Amino acid sequence: MFKNYFLVAYRNLVRHKGFSFLNIAGLALGLTACLLIGLFVHDELQFDKFVPQGDRIFRLYADHFRGDARETAAPVPPMYATTMKQEFPEVEQTMRILMQASNNLVEVGDKKLYVDNSVIADSTFFSMFELPFKYGSAEHALDAPTSIVLAEDVATNFFGKENPVGKEIKVNKQSLLVKGVLRGGLSKFHLPINYVLPLSAAGLPKERMKKWGWHQFFTYVKLRPGTDAQQTQAKLQRYVTQVVNPTLPADDQIKEVTYLQPLHQIHLYSANFKYDMSTKGNITYVKALSFIAVFILLIAGFNFVNLSTAKSLQRAKEVGIRKTIGASREQLMLQFLSETVLLTLVSVVLATVLTALLLPSLNAFTGKTMTFDLLANPALLGLLGLLTVVVGLVAGFYPALVLSGFQPVKVLKSAVVTDGVFGRVQWLRHGLIVVQFALSVFLIVCALVVFRQVSFLHNKDLGFNRDQIMFFPMRGDNMKEHYDAFKNELAQVPGVASASIGYGFPGDQVAGDGIIVPKNGEDKEHGVTQLMVDYDYLKTLGMQLIAGRDFSPALKTDKDQAFILNETAVKELGFGTPEKALGQPLKWKVWNDKNPDSLKVGKVIGVVKDFHYKSLYDRLEPAVLQIFPGAYWKVAVKLKADNIGSSVEGVKQVWAKFSPDSPIEYKFLDDNFDQMYKAEDKLKSLLWLFTGIAIFVGCLGLFGLATYAAERRKKEIGIRKVLGASVGSIVGLLSKEFLVLVLVAAVIAFPAAWLAMNRWLQDFAYRIDMPLWAFLVAGLAAAAVAFLTVGYQAVRAATMNPVSNLRAQ
Amino acid sequence: MIKIENLEKIYRTDEVQTKALNNVSLAVNEGEFVAIMGPSGCGKSTLLNILGLLDEPDGGQFAFAGAEVAHASERRRAELRKKHIGFVFQSFNLIEELTVAENVELPLIYLGVGAAERKEKVAAVLEKMQIMHRRNHFPQQLSGGQQQRVAVARAVINSPRLILADEPTGNLDSSNGNEVMELLTELNEGGTTIVMVTHSEHDARYAHRVVRLLDGQVVLENRQPAFSA
Ligand SMILES: Nc1ncnc2c1ncn2[C@@H]1O[C@H](COP(=O)(O)OP(=O)(O)O)[C@@H](O)[C@H]1O
Ligand SMILES: [Mg+2]
Repeated sequence: MFKNYFLVAYRNLVRHKGFSFLNIAGLALGLTACLLIGLFVHDELQFDKFVPQGDRIFRLYADHFRGDARETAAPVPPMYATTMKQEFPEVEQTMRILMQASNNLVEVGDKKLYVDNSVIADSTFFSMFELPFKYGSAEHALDAPTSIVLAEDVATNFFGKENPVGKEIKVNKQSLLVKGVLRGGLSKFHLPINYVLPLSAAGLPKERMKKWGWHQFFTYVKLRPGTDAQQTQAKLQRYVTQVVNPTLPADDQIKEVTYLQPLHQIHLYSANFKYDMSTKGNITYVKALSFIAVFILLIAGFNFVNLSTAKSLQRAKEVGIRKTIGASREQLMLQFLSETVLLTLVSVVLATVLTALLLPSLNAFTGKTMTFDLLANPALLGLLGLLTVVVGLVAGFYPALVLSGFQPVKVLKSAVVTDGVFGRVQWLRHGLIVVQFALSVFLIVCALVVFRQVSFLHNKDLGFNRDQIMFFPMRGDNMKEHYDAFKNELAQVPGVASASIGYGFPGDQVAGDGIIVPKNGEDKEHGVTQLMVDYDYLKTLGMQLIAGRDFSPALKTDKDQAFILNETAVKELGFGTPEKALGQPLKWKVWNDKNPDSLKVGKVIGVVKDFHYKSLYDRLEPAVLQIFPGAYWKVAVKLKADNIGSSVEGVKQVWAKFSPDSPIEYKFLDDNFDQMYKAEDKLKSLLWLFTGIAIFVGCLGLFGLATYAAERRKKEIGIRKVLGASVGSIVGLLSKEFLVLVLVAAVIAFPAAWLAMNRWLQDFAYRIDMPLWAFLVAGLAAAAVAFLTVGYQAVRAATMNPVSNLRAQ
Repeated sequence: MIKIENLEKIYRTDEVQTKALNNVSLAVNEGEFVAIMGPSGCGKSTLLNILGLLDEPDGGQFAFAGAEVAHASERRRAELRKKHIGFVFQSFNLIEELTVAENVELPLIYLGVGAAERKEKVAAVLEKMQIMHRRNHFPQQLSGGQQQRVAVARAVINSPRLILADEPTGNLDSSNGNEVMELLTELNEGGTTIVMVTHSEHDARYAHRVVRLLDGQVVLENRQPAFSA
């Protein structure tokens, strides 16, 4: 019996090639999009799942409060780990990783490379994370201060294929012995690791490790089996306020609130963390993509239902005959369901091939190494089988129900079966089109809003000029000691406009610290960003003074007694206007390990226009600029627009003079900013791509329906034309109903899109106003696409010779 | 074999109510060949559809092979249909996507007959209808007469006790029409009961008896000697 079903199904497929093509292509495309998104989402969810006992591992993080602003950060002071290990019996193990500011120079023989993602950790690192070793073993791997464990590709890079265990390697000139090599790329581990060093190698003073105020350690705890993490967290928070705080001086009280974050959530749920070295995903985007996948599958599925029910009217006669001969309704349903399952199967096979073809591009785009190997993954194969059956049955159920319900007497009598007889089919069809278009309009609006916000992020005037600025850290004692000479020589290089050395450049790390405002004989401390600058900082960055003056090397007092504020600081420190701020006294606790109580006392000499030194996710903070050579570290060199290549060469030569042992490691400042919005850039691209697919798939269906409608109304159109109707009026007749559907869809989609995008925009401190034109454009685009799709068929039908249509009946 | 009494069928559309059958009573005996005649729209097809259990009457009784079936369930009617009744239509009603042999085979499939037996029976009946050489053709590739022979072959494949034919020669020229009438007569002589709707007095002469309908009512029944022509 099934042979007969499949025979008929196959012949139907071949006979109605156009219809079959639309049906299969739409579903295959939709499924491909779903599979790709599915692979991506699955991969994101897989992070750290391979870590043994991962469900017992937690990372500490803390919420810091400044006024009513909250900032979440991953690093916590070193004492958390010490205390939890000692005082909390349910804690089995703790481990800290030192947060580092820069890349390190790694040397083996003559080979020198700056390597990022170094992990400097407690020796318990490998008992916290039982990572697989290729060479050596985890035991005692980090015991000696001279130990180092390499990631596999770093080992290969420096030592080739040989086993490097026992060999020497230098990190920032410090000589170390390779104790082991990790196996594989660890692409699903939240910490990007190139090598692991023991904390003892960093030689941190014991005193500092006892601090409760030094937020410098990514801290992990492994709880004993059966421990309730919520209780441990509450206990920790209580412990801090009730036990730790009473031992601390009033100024150093712990105000942040610390939480336990499950290991499996680190990758996806840390998007808003301010300091974090982990490879971050974003649960919002993962969810958004999942929704889009479901949307596309729905659209493709609805196409399928629509096209099948439309075509079913052509097959009414077959149903009538089969029933006359004695087929039962169940048998007919089974027949039509096997047909849709067959069609789905073809689509799934096609989608599988497409997915395999497109996966490399997606991998390149997302930087992942996902695989789609059906043979190696029976679960995936089973899933595809299940998908085939489920989609086939769900999409085929309604058409099968309609078809098998036809009354033989009715369908055999009339030559054509009209929609009028099956009103509910029409109703459903329209409903599905509305949903399809609503989803498409929703996606178009989102794509447009995201596009606008992303270009806003990239192009907003940041209050300084970030173009052609070479940016690098100083290396080696010689360079740091002679920074002044270094800077002067840099400025001499032809093609260099100016150079500035400091700590606290836009797009780079900045230091948060206090500033003291003396008022009515009382000192009040405010949290601000401290930008340690020099006399050329404002000039190099093209910043704008709105009151007072820049620092001047001619005035000796500027070095030790002058501050410049940004506009936000003027407001927050309570000075009112920039002019009033000038001359106001300020005090700062100098960064001086030997003499922690020394104070810098000075006056405000200038106010700069606000400038965005962080990403636009963050609200502008009050910033204080001052001359403080003790913190000088980073160099910004402004190049003239032409001959950038030779200017860079010139800078390199100066570098080589001052630091011949270490190569220069430079970036351009604007790249720092573009880096900040990588996630948004990708979201934008993915949204465009999948919105395109959604619309295209929807159009395939609409095209099919329009073809069908034109076909069905051939005779009517013929008669109308014989009676004198114009082509225009017939096109209008055929297009009108579809346009009404688009309108209804838009009305449904607009509020949903507005809500979703409004919520997304809230994440940005600086954002565009909801662009109303995006809604207009989305609506018009959907209408235009619908009109073009339907109109093509309508025009074809309307311009056909009416006589042949009438005769055909 | 068939006994209907006071059968009524009313079609209701939004504005009008059509009484397609009005108090029709009729009995057809096993082995009889009955022709139903009447002007277009008098209710012939309606009657035939009810006799074939494709449609339900609105009133009256209908006994099929002794059992009351006027309001039998859809399932039971489908069951009776596939076991006992064969249909032949004016417009042949072959499934376009199936070949001649596959069309003829279809009733056996629904009856659950095994593949080997199906093959045998299909071959036999195609042989008998003289379209064996066309067995792998699709309906569109055949002439009208050939198509109707296929339809007849399909109607008789499961040896039904009753064959209902609605203007079987309506779309055929006279020589093809005569061939089909010969076929039906042959079947009738083999014991199959036949009820046939026709417009043609010539065709009606093949029947044992003619029932004339007018506006949904039986106006005349006349017995006639076979082959009086
Ligand atoms: N499905 C239907 N809906 C409404 N009226 C119908 C329907 N089928 C038949 N009729 C009406 O019933 C009457 C009998 O129809 P029918 O049995 O087809 O006549 P015949 O076969 O004798 O030409 C006609 O008036 C016809 O218009
Ligand atoms: Mg009729």
